[in-house]
Amino acid sequence: MNPHALTRRFLSALAVLALTAGALAVAAPGAAAQEDDVDTLLIATNQEVDTFNPFKRRNVITYETSMMTYDTLVKMGTEYEPVPGLATEWVESEDGLTWTFTIREGVTWSDGEALTANDVAYTYGLLIENQAIHDWNVDFAGNLVSAEAPDDATFVLTLAQPAPWDVLTREVYIVPEHVWSQFPDPSADDANQLPLVGSGPFQVTEYKTDELIRLKANPDYWDGAPGFDEIVYDYYAETDAAVAALEAGEVDVVGSGMQGGLNPAQIEALAKQDHVTVNDVQGRRYVSITLNHGTVTQDGTEFGDGHPALKDPVVRKAMHMAIDKQALVDTVLDGSGSPATSIIPAIFAQYHWDGGDSLVQFDIEGANALLDEAGYERGEDGVRTMPGGGQRLSFRFYQHADNTAYATIAQFAVEWWAELGIEVVPEAIEQGELNNLAYLGEFDIAFSGWGVGPNPTEQLGMHTCAVLPTLTDGTERSSENSYCNPDFDALHEQQKVESDPDARAELVKEEQRLLYEDTPVIYLYYQNVMEAYDHDSVTGMTTQPTENGMVTGQQGFTWSYWSAQPVGGDGDEGGPSAWVWIAVAAAVIVVAGAGFVLTLRRKKTADERE
Amino acid sequence: MTDGTPPSEPDRASGPAGDAADRGAPGAPAAPAAGARTRVSGGFGRYLLKHVAGAAVSLLLVLFSSFFIFRLIAGDPIDQLTRERPVSPEQRAAMRAELGLDQPMWKQFWDYITGTLTMDLGDSFQYRRPIFDLIVERLPATLLLSGTGMVLAVLLGFWIGARAGWRQGSRFDRGQVATGLLLYSAPTFWLGMIVILVFARYLGLFPVNGMRSPSTPPDFWSQAVDIGHHLVLPVLTYTAVVYAGYLMIMRSSVLDELGGDYLTTARAKGLRDDEVRRRHAVPNALLPTVTLVFLALGSVVNGSIVTETVFSWPGLGSLFVQSIFYPDRPVLQALFVLFSASTILAVLCAEILYWFIDPRIRRTG
Repeated sequence: MNPHALTRRFLSALAVLALTAGALAVAAPGAAAQEDDVDTLLIATNQEVDTFNPFKRRNVITYETSMMTYDTLVKMGTEYEPVPGLATEWVESEDGLTWTFTIREGVTWSDGEALTANDVAYTYGLLIENQAIHDWNVDFAGNLVSAEAPDDATFVLTLAQPAPWDVLTREVYIVPEHVWSQFPDPSADDANQLPLVGSGPFQVTEYKTDELIRLKANPDYWDGAPGFDEIVYDYYAETDAAVAALEAGEVDVVGSGMQGGLNPAQIEALAKQDHVTVNDVQGRRYVSITLNHGTVTQDGTEFGDGHPALKDPVVRKAMHMAIDKQALVDTVLDGSGSPATSIIPAIFAQYHWDGGDSLVQFDIEGANALLDEAGYERGEDGVRTMPGGGQRLSFRFYQHADNTAYATIAQFAVEWWAELGIEVVPEAIEQGELNNLAYLGEFDIAFSGWGVGPNPTEQLGMHTCAVLPTLTDGTERSSENSYCNPDFDALHEQQKVESDPDARAELVKEEQRLLYEDTPVIYLYYQNVMEAYDHDSVTGMTTQPTENGMVTGQQGFTWSYWSAQPVGGDGDEGGPSAWVWIAVAAAVIVVAGAGFVLTLRRKKTADERE
Repeated sequence: MTDGTPPSEPDRASGPAGDAADRGAPGAPAAPAAGARTRVSGGFGRYLLKHVAGAAVSLLLVLFSSFFIFRLIAGDPIDQLTRERPVSPEQRAAMRAELGLDQPMWKQFWDYITGTLTMDLGDSFQYRRPIFDLIVERLPATLLLSGTGMVLAVLLGFWIGARAGWRQGSRFDRGQVATGLLLYSAPTFWLGMIVILVFARYLGLFPVNGMRSPSTPPDFWSQAVDIGHHLVLPVLTYTAVVYAGYLMIMRSSVLDELGGDYLTTARAKGLRDDEVRRRHAVPNALLPTVTLVFLALGSVVNGSIVTETVFSWPGLGSLFVQSIFYPDRPVLQALFVLFSASTILAVLCAEILYWFIDPRIRRTG
């Protein structure tokens, strides 16, 4: 038997495959390069589109597409301040119940129609009259009484109660009446057929599930044409793949579009790339631990099985004192964050409360003294018991099973608390199950974390008595840990209607102080945003805030994408050099040729011998 | 050259035990031939009826269990929809109503059963679109990836397997079996990342992931070339992981033929060893593997879950994974039924095929 016979056909088959693959490797980038005259900003994402309807969306990705496709009356500036949008001016009546907006003239929709105050009145009208849209946005739509356009340039909004500017305008995207009114129910998704018609800097024109979302630039945007011709959100299932794509120059921006974001290791790897700028800046997210201080319904029925000792503010305060937040930031986040005080992260400087005189310092001794004084005596095993020989201070601590940062925090906290004579048993639980237990009150300590929006009312509102559940089955999930304090509620109502920004900020800070001192939740740290972009292909992105701010995950308006400019010819980005191509082509030809010759020879001998 | 005794390695026939989802194990279908010859054939009609009924029962069980299995995944879909965003009780109620979650369980079950039977699969929680459209949209991507990968894996596996079996114990045999099994046991996820790093990240020959580039012109040829370009790495990964299964089966099938008298006869005619293998041994060894190909067709629909996820390939597999994390129950239910149905139907086809290609079946029913 001919020993070479086996390998011949195998080689030739391999050669054909290699040839095909090689041809694709060489030909495909060339085919794609033909359209290089279009400047595309490529942003990595892994978040699905829930709906392009700007009034029914929930996801971050559709928040961004809405901000780009449409305009709001008042924009949120780079410092989260009010900036004229479709309205050039606005006046609030003495009683705060009537707002009159002057609508910008000469603005057109992306289909060329003129935008007038009638479109604005139509949009606000939807929030008042369309049941589905009203329900979805009831937290602010419930406060709207009427929306009228006395002339093309004036829009008058009447309210039931006074409200600040951002509540009234931030998420109300003005939609074109001439398009939307054609549909019998504009809350249904057929009103959002692509391409979308809007007045913003980019409009969504194409969407392929888990492949891409394409937005085309609006060259007639009233505040100036965007620098890029189009924006494409490119889908990456894995963050590591998105990182590799950024390194290879296949994507321009990787940031908050990827849920879970980049981790310190990925940022470190990207920082070594010459063409990549990494951005490790303050973010909007806090991480906290919730102490089960008693789960109650609105009528005061207690439920759940939390440890009774946690109802004692002294115990909660002592536990707070025994946590070294700076150490957590340094070890868990590699320094990419800052210790938290209360619920509003430092990035919202206007509303953030710095702790003032009430700031709890890391002080194990002090915490021990507090517990001693309150009569929690240590048993023989070193664990304290409740005064009067009651229950041991042994708590369950639930962490999200998929979160490694939480696991590390738990390790630290357990040691710190052990020094107080408190026994804590950490347990990793799958996220959905953990939520179920948390809302049933069946836990002692659990992790929590939120991305906070620029309007503090939303996040603080989760701590009012009004959102306590009415049932004990854990299905009503609006209250964060059953917190209910009438003083807090009074402040909350006051700040909602306070239209003087400074006075409102004071009220918001006071709310945070109460929350901090009552300690239903211990806020651990504010997590940085970690993002990276290819500065060889994109430049000039405005951050929010301007100082030390972020590029992705902006609020109110996508200043970064609007201001972004393409760099140079945007030609061959990070691809292999010509020499690599030549080497590959040569290798392919050699292998193919060898396979071909061998096959021929084989045929020949076979014919001869048979 | 091997001697005439058929070596006994029967267990290999079912392929090495695989752990990952991509190893849609090409095991032989429950071989009806094993039954004792108790009665004479009731004819093809009876045989067909029996197997169709069996398949129908399996399908029903899948249909029922699919509803309950995915309710075991903890988590309130509303938590996902409102993720990290405070919502009022009214909003939660409105969302529950919109998703049909406010209905009693029996009503949800009834809607699910009738919906599935009439192909009205309802809307996905995460995409807010009809699931039927989602599946139709993503099926071609999956068929392209697993189909291409499967054809390559079958051809490669059979080709190497036939030669390895023929020269059992040779260096070629040992080398190929070792390589095949090594790849077979490599985690698909890890292998995929390595492939990405080497071929996309460092050599830059192929795109990191996805199915096409956003900047490719919409005409047919540009798109075809671009999709082909994106297809190379996932297919490479997929093929590398699954071909060993086919290799082992073909190898063992050839081993079974090695002692056949007809091969001795063929050699006695003066045929070259190569010819004996190609013209005589392999055609006979192919017979048991034909049904395998049908089974492979069944797993083309669900066969590339991990590969699709690593390469962000927009197919049914990545849809399934995303839906698990959500959890998007209606999508999971629909895909579970679809995946199971395709396998059940493929097995049924294989069984029917047996009737025609294996005379023993006709005798035993």
